[in-house]
Amino acid sequence: MMDVCTSIPSSAATASAGTSATILCCMCAAPISPNPSNTCSSCLASSTDVTRGISTEATLHQCRGCSRWHQSEGKWIGCDLESRELMALCLVNVSGLKKKRNDDGGGRVRLVDAAWVWTEPHSMRLKIRLTIQREVTSGGAILQQSFVVTFVVRNQQCVECQAAFRQGTWKNLVQVRQRVGHKRTFLYLEQLILKHGAHRGCLSIETFKDGMDFYFPDKGKAARFMSFLEDVVPLKVKSSKKLIGTDDKSNVSNYKYTSLVEICTLCKDDLLFLPKAVARHIGNISRLVLVKNITNVIHVIDPITGQTGTIESDAYWRDPFRPVITAARTRLTRYVVLGKEPVYLERNASRKGVSKKQRSKLALITSARESDLGTNDSTLVERSHLGYLMKGGDVCLGYDLRETQLVDDDAEEARTDGKFPDVVYVRKLYGGVAAGESDAARKRMFRLQRLNVKKGDEEGGGGRRKKAKKDAETDHMDEEDFLQELEADREMRARVNIYKSDTALKEERNDERDEDDGDENDEDEDDQKITLDELLDNLALDSKPDAVEDAAMQGDMTNSDEFQGFVEEGARAAKDKIGYVSRDEALNIQAKETAIPVVGNVWGEDFMHKDGK
Amino acid sequence: MATRVAFENSNEIGVFAALTNGYCLTGINRSENFYSVFEAELGAHIPVIHATIAGCRFVGRTTVGNRRGLLVPNTATDVELAHLRNSLPDGIVVQRVEERLSALGNIVACNDHVALVHPDVDRETEDVISDVLGVEVFRQIVGGQALVGSYCKFSNHGGMVHPRTTVEDIEELSSLLQVPLVAGTVNRGSDVLGGGLIVNDWSSFVGLDTTSTEISVIENIFRLSGSGSSSGGGQRGQGQQSNIVTNMRSSLIDQLS
Repeated sequence: MMDVCTSIPSSAATASAGTSATILCCMCAAPISPNPSNTCSSCLASSTDVTRGISTEATLHQCRGCSRWHQSEGKWIGCDLESRELMALCLVNVSGLKKKRNDDGGGRVRLVDAAWVWTEPHSMRLKIRLTIQREVTSGGAILQQSFVVTFVVRNQQCVECQAAFRQGTWKNLVQVRQRVGHKRTFLYLEQLILKHGAHRGCLSIETFKDGMDFYFPDKGKAARFMSFLEDVVPLKVKSSKKLIGTDDKSNVSNYKYTSLVEICTLCKDDLLFLPKAVARHIGNISRLVLVKNITNVIHVIDPITGQTGTIESDAYWRDPFRPVITAARTRLTRYVVLGKEPVYLERNASRKGVSKKQRSKLALITSARESDLGTNDSTLVERSHLGYLMKGGDVCLGYDLRETQLVDDDAEEARTDGKFPDVVYVRKLYGGVAAGESDAARKRMFRLQRLNVKKGDEEGGGGRRKKAKKDAETDHMDEEDFLQELEADREMRARVNIYKSDTALKEERNDERDEDDGDENDEDEDDQKITLDELLDNLALDSKPDAVEDAAMQGDMTNSDEFQGFVEEGARAAKDKIGYVSRDEALNIQAKETAIPVVGNVWGEDFMHKDGK
Repeated sequence: MATRVAFENSNEIGVFAALTNGYCLTGINRSENFYSVFEAELGAHIPVIHATIAGCRFVGRTTVGNRRGLLVPNTATDVELAHLRNSLPDGIVVQRVEERLSALGNIVACNDHVALVHPDVDRETEDVISDVLGVEVFRQIVGGQALVGSYCKFSNHGGMVHPRTTVEDIEELSSLLQVPLVAGTVNRGSDVLGGGLIVNDWSSFVGLDTTSTEISVIENIFRLSGSGSSSGGGQRGQGQQSNIVTNMRSSLIDQLS
């Protein structure tokens, strides 16, 4: 074939070395050294605009509720001002940067630099200065030019915020209920939810007298939440759906789902009188047992022998039973430990052995009711699975079975027959609570994070205010009980996040000061006592509960600098290694600077070399 | 005097026309505008001929010639060859060249005495060029470009080379060709001189985009300034012009000093 016009310009590197001839600029006749366009820089700048076709104004959408930015197709991302991510978002929105423009004959645009330009914080504007290079002639002349692109920030509610603000947008309601007279299970559940972030995607949470409602925008999120619940408490789910609307033509229906989650009524520290079959089933355990803790199964312990057993969730639901005494403040009696003695157990080959670990915890406790001290000399001697924790002078809580009337007929019969121990110790008290100090709650060394829940409206009526006051008191008492439970149970603490309180921080500082202060707990075998190193440091103290929840809800919002405090202008840009035009310089910056020719390499040569290596 | 002309909105007129001191070839255009420009400018002195090579219009790139002869590539048909022979004056030899690099206009640059050729052309082609065109042949590159026909252009009076040619190379080429040379551009900064510029000893044509600066450089180096298009004696006109300029300048200097 004929090689007509095969004038492939070989790269400048092949030109023989030597002084290059001076040529005249083809437009103004100024003597210049040859360049790809053979035009002097001023002529080139005046005749071509490499920013042609690139918009210098664009719009960004930001959600005012969660401060996230609209990325594309309903996707919202959280990014800080001046951050790398926001720059990426801005660059995507500059039209003309990406696509090759065939119509004007210009070559591809290469972005060389992008920098933030200071803008007035309330101006709803973002400015970036872009530096681009573009081939302006077919000969390979490349011009470089800087210009400023202004972004107008518009408010637009993101889907999540819309859903949260609009009423009735929930798709799935999860009603969690427990038919007991206290709220401790829910307090515990709340902590578990917080620790695992299980409420992510939840629109709102409401609390009721005997449970909580969780509203979810779709079925999947609710299912996820319920499967989380299944792992932490024994429960039973009943689902129902309500038809909102249907489109027969396209065979689409819109339902609202309601899932009723019923949590088993047994709680930690409840006293049970097991049905015979159940007791026989779990290792022929004594019928009088204490609930040790609740996970997805029910753990029980015989307080006299230390034998343990578990009741599976489905076994419980097959034949539910109620506790004989629910662990409530009114049913628990305070005892003062006077002394303890070791217990020697003869082994019974026919029964399931009590583990050595549990046996070693048994002790014979001599105690007296706190109220009896100073009035009479009656003491109780009873074995307890908590024996290893006790020493003379300790205060503990227990069920006084001598004086309690039991509702259950069988149990009451057994009690009057003297088959029950006089007392069942439930837990040891620690700290200020044990000493009976009035400000014990305030001096507690840990604190907990709380969920942002709404009070569900319950039927009002007369004496509403009085009722509200009473409710608040009950709630407060339940909280205190829950905290005491936590205090006495290391395993339970391990499952939740607990944070240092101000008291703990103070204590820590004191510890640092006098390190030599003799530690009296050195040889104490009390492994349930709360220690400072179990506590987490950073509960964001000044943030509202809202803020914590919002931050947790926005899964992809990695950085929450706004909560940490004020960030200096340009600091974030410097951290992300992005150029920043400060406030003073921003006044002098031109919207479009004059183009300058890029001398040296041929278009894309450095790229090709990089690629070749 | 350089004339601006375009071929169907293309500035690369050197592709579509070939000009020597003895004749002019033009490609076949849809309209006769292109041809008319040449006819008006040159018709009084030399034949202006419509031509095709292998049925194609880009005669400027496929052929090379001077006042003694014309070389066409082996792709040229017999009919075309016959047409050229019939149309050209009797003294001009038309010869077909068996050369692999068939775009002769791109690989050969010549005037009536010397020719620069692409370093890779065949020995035989070199001989043919030398015999038919009656020139001394040098294998050369210009400004790092092997396609000498595309990147340099010279007549018997002067020449223009690729803008990236170094001063040393220009001096060497100048002594080789025995004409003054300059680095320059056509068509608003284009370095494809063979495409944008066709020239003989008394006239030249440039692409429509060529700026006045470029035209003045071209007129100076090819010594075209001052002579009217009607005048065949470009050299005489040039001489008169320079005399006037010299006289004026010296009188001015006298007055001022």
